[in-house]
Amino acid sequence: MSPILLQVIVGGLLLGAVYALFSSGLTLIWGMMNVVNFAHGDFVMLAMYVAFWTWAIIGGGPLLFTPLAAFALAVLGVVVYFGVVKPVMGGPMLAQMLGTFGLALFLRYSAFWAFTANFRTLPEDMIPGSFVVGGVRFEAAKVVAGIVALLLTIGLHLLLTKTRLGSRMLAVSEDRQAAMLMGIRPDRMQAIAWALAAGATGVAGALIATFFYVSPTVGETLAVIAFVVVSLGGFGSVPGALVAGLLIGVIESLSAFWIGAVYKDVLVYALFLVVLWVRPQGLFGKL
Amino acid sequence: MRKFAMAVTTALVMAGAGQVLAQGTVKIGAIYPLSGNAASAGQSSKAAIEMAVDIVNQDLLDLGDLAMAKGAGLTNMKGAKVEVVFADNQGTPAAGQSQALRLITEEKVAAIVGAYQSGITLTASAVAERYGIPFLTPESVATNLTERGFKWFFRATPITSDLAAAYIDFLKERRAAGKKIDSIAIVNENTEYGSSIAESLRKAFGANGFNVTMEIPYSANTSDVQPQVLQLKDKNPDLVIFVTYTSDAILYAKAMRSLNYRPTMMLADNAGFNDPAFVEQVGNLVEGVINRSAFAPGNPGTIPHRINEMFKAKTGRDLDDPSARAMMGMLVMCDAINRAGGTEPAKIQAALKATDLKVNQILTGYRGVKFDEKGQNILAFTLITQMHDGKYVPVWPAGQASAPVKDYVGWR
Amino acid sequence: MARFVLAVAIAIALVFPLVFSGAFYERVAALTLLYAIAASAWNLIGGYAGQVSVGHVVFFGCGAYGAAVAYSEWGLPPIAGLPLGVGAAVLLAALVGVPTLRLSGHYFTMATVALAELIRILVGNVPVLGAAVGLMGPAVPRSVWDLSFTSSLPYYYLFLAVLAGLLLFTWWMERSRMGFYLRAIKGSERAARSLGIPVGRYKLYALMLSAGFTAVAGALYLVMVGFVDPDSGVGILLSVKMLIMAALGGAGTLFGPLIGALILVPLEEISNSLLGGQGSGVTFVVYGGIILLIAVFQPGGILAMVAGWWRKS
Repeated sequence: MSPILLQVIVGGLLLGAVYALFSSGLTLIWGMMNVVNFAHGDFVMLAMYVAFWTWAIIGGGPLLFTPLAAFALAVLGVVVYFGVVKPVMGGPMLAQMLGTFGLALFLRYSAFWAFTANFRTLPEDMIPGSFVVGGVRFEAAKVVAGIVALLLTIGLHLLLTKTRLGSRMLAVSEDRQAAMLMGIRPDRMQAIAWALAAGATGVAGALIATFFYVSPTVGETLAVIAFVVVSLGGFGSVPGALVAGLLIGVIESLSAFWIGAVYKDVLVYALFLVVLWVRPQGLFGKL
Repeated sequence: MRKFAMAVTTALVMAGAGQVLAQGTVKIGAIYPLSGNAASAGQSSKAAIEMAVDIVNQDLLDLGDLAMAKGAGLTNMKGAKVEVVFADNQGTPAAGQSQALRLITEEKVAAIVGAYQSGITLTASAVAERYGIPFLTPESVATNLTERGFKWFFRATPITSDLAAAYIDFLKERRAAGKKIDSIAIVNENTEYGSSIAESLRKAFGANGFNVTMEIPYSANTSDVQPQVLQLKDKNPDLVIFVTYTSDAILYAKAMRSLNYRPTMMLADNAGFNDPAFVEQVGNLVEGVINRSAFAPGNPGTIPHRINEMFKAKTGRDLDDPSARAMMGMLVMCDAINRAGGTEPAKIQAALKATDLKVNQILTGYRGVKFDEKGQNILAFTLITQMHDGKYVPVWPAGQASAPVKDYVGWR
Repeated sequence: MARFVLAVAIAIALVFPLVFSGAFYERVAALTLLYAIAASAWNLIGGYAGQVSVGHVVFFGCGAYGAAVAYSEWGLPPIAGLPLGVGAAVLLAALVGVPTLRLSGHYFTMATVALAELIRILVGNVPVLGAAVGLMGPAVPRSVWDLSFTSSLPYYYLFLAVLAGLLLFTWWMERSRMGFYLRAIKGSERAARSLGIPVGRYKLYALMLSAGFTAVAGALYLVMVGFVDPDSGVGILLSVKMLIMAALGGAGTLFGPLIGALILVPLEEISNSLLGGQGSGVTFVVYGGIILLIAVFQPGGILAMVAGWWRKS
């Protein structure tokens, strides 16, 4: 295999890890509560701004702004749960889409209003450099993002499957009534789920900001692909999102390299439709 | 329904209240993308147009012969002040059209400038044509705009074929200077802007003995550009041309560094690589990139430098090319209205047709402003600039160059 | 009483633009009806059958591009492309409906999103469709058949007639066997199937009908605006708008989408007119905020709220 091709594949894997990182919060919410969060991309955008401003105002690096963004977003998640999601959960599925769409516009343009439409970037040396292994270059910032994506996925998966908290949260998502009868407080569980999901999204946004640009509409750029990642993996399946993210990253990179960058998304969407045709519940989802 | 109708009426009355004209004021409409993906560029154009209005309304003596700088207000109209009414096209052709209609029928503007994106200029100017209101686009480049047989449409900016001609002349000089340009790659984003520039370049290069060996179109606002950079690295053409928006330009600059790819010669067409946000934040990664611009601040003491300082004082950023063209377009419109001596549309139209601004009267690198029967500025032209120490300086044509061309460096 | 309200509403709709003259407001009224057509068309599959599509913009695009191609390829008046656009939309609906309608809930929604994005990218690369640059209608009207008017009033009444036709059809469908089947399917597909309802077939019918009417809206859009490119004709945001309007007014109700359009289109146009010029983004803060508030306080849509008041009084 030529070094260039190897580089393309490595680039695809790292990109895929970023997609997975970006999508983990979305799949958690979607799977646990059957809520489509149209504002997910804008959550990531806000986390990126937290990172940017932390650096711009007090000169903090990733070690400071990543936890800060996670915390800020977790708080936002809880606020959004009680302020927006809980009231609309009783309504039809469309009401949730309506609510989160309104929220998306509101957040996006509040950022626009507060920070202007200017593009911003963190300096190159935030997570500096790149290293070469076997003729293939690894960009440090993306490697860090990839490792964190992996850890986050494993962590969330273990939390859901191995801990008491996780099984309570799952119980609520399976059957709210039954869970209540067993003494679980559904509101608290779901608020925790939102805090977790939004916190994970905060980590994702902060790390993506180290190698991407920041602007009020940046969430849109990544959001559509995140929705595809989540449904390809199967709603609610955290490992599914990781596998789907990596798969899509590699396919995008290879098809951009071989067929042409214009058609890379065509291939991804086509593949997604084919997978749904064969497996209507996504790769790792339950029907 | 009835309540709704009442709410609408109230809104109408409220909107109408702001309309009372001050004595001796001429209203000009300006339609720009003030929200959505192109908002960054639109906001910068808005600031530039506001500055053009300041230039018109104030008596500025330190701007030399620049059109409309001397004398306060419209001097042929007893010093009437110009007022600009901005409208947001929201990045959609339908909204651009609605706003053009509102500016004409509700705000009663005498003329309109705008609307940045070619597709929106197309729909908005169609409304102006119907109502017989002059419409001038300072920046939209799509060829079909001036091919519609419109009588009220004018375009001050150079179009894609002018730009391609400038590149060709410049590259011929480079070749004559001993640079090898046997293979050329064009990397373009795939919306109207990128694909029409790429097509013009392809045609012009083919007709002038330059070989386009690679074309890499890609979707704008992409999340990753590494495969494209690797394609380039694989084939390593002598000249790489980027036609991108800001978001992608930032990603290309970063990806080229992280993949350690420095083209022999790199040229970027305006837009993304020219965005002040790009220059300020990642300009140090593409030292030596060649660009085109109708505006270059030049050396202290020159008028463009002074204008750039004024713009910087107002906005905190440098005056970029599309904004400079917007500013110039507004000045051309004000100059025409001033010569018309009134706001009757037909008089303004006649004055626009008679426009004959000389090189010393304009702030952009045009050879002048003079419209042909289709409304196209036949003297439109562009400078070639190059990134020197994190700032663009003009390097061509020789008369306007402030530094010699150097080789591509990338990052240090 | 209900009849009386309806009669008053129709009367207002007919004379409204004559009372509130002003070219801009006539245009806003016409646009409102245009979006009401699109949202009502979406309502057939998204509201009545409960299959939430976020890809409907491709059918809208079929109509818009059909009309544009009639002019650009054959020099016909754009409206002559209507049958082409509608035919293409119905055919496309049949083709994509078979595989996607098997999917349940969000998976169907996501499949429509993927499909719409896929088609948007493809359209941007097809020269006959103007690729990325887009296609325009006749720049200067050649005959009255170009339906190119300076005033928006002719459009207003044209759209009003089309909308009335669509609502009449929907009203009839509500009461037909198909309406009953669709409600059953929306309630529970499994239950519907056990009642012997041919679920797949009726969902497909609903999708094809919905696609056809959405294409009509697309063709009318081109006739009025005179230009279409991949973003304005096949961009995902328009799909979301159809959904939002229907949901806001009340999805699966006859007048819900119209009510939604009556609120959202003027809200968007007027807030843009009052605030957009500042360039601060406040327009969308207000617009998004109002949608958010309605969703939170009235998840069932405006019509459900009105119905609530009705029952109380």
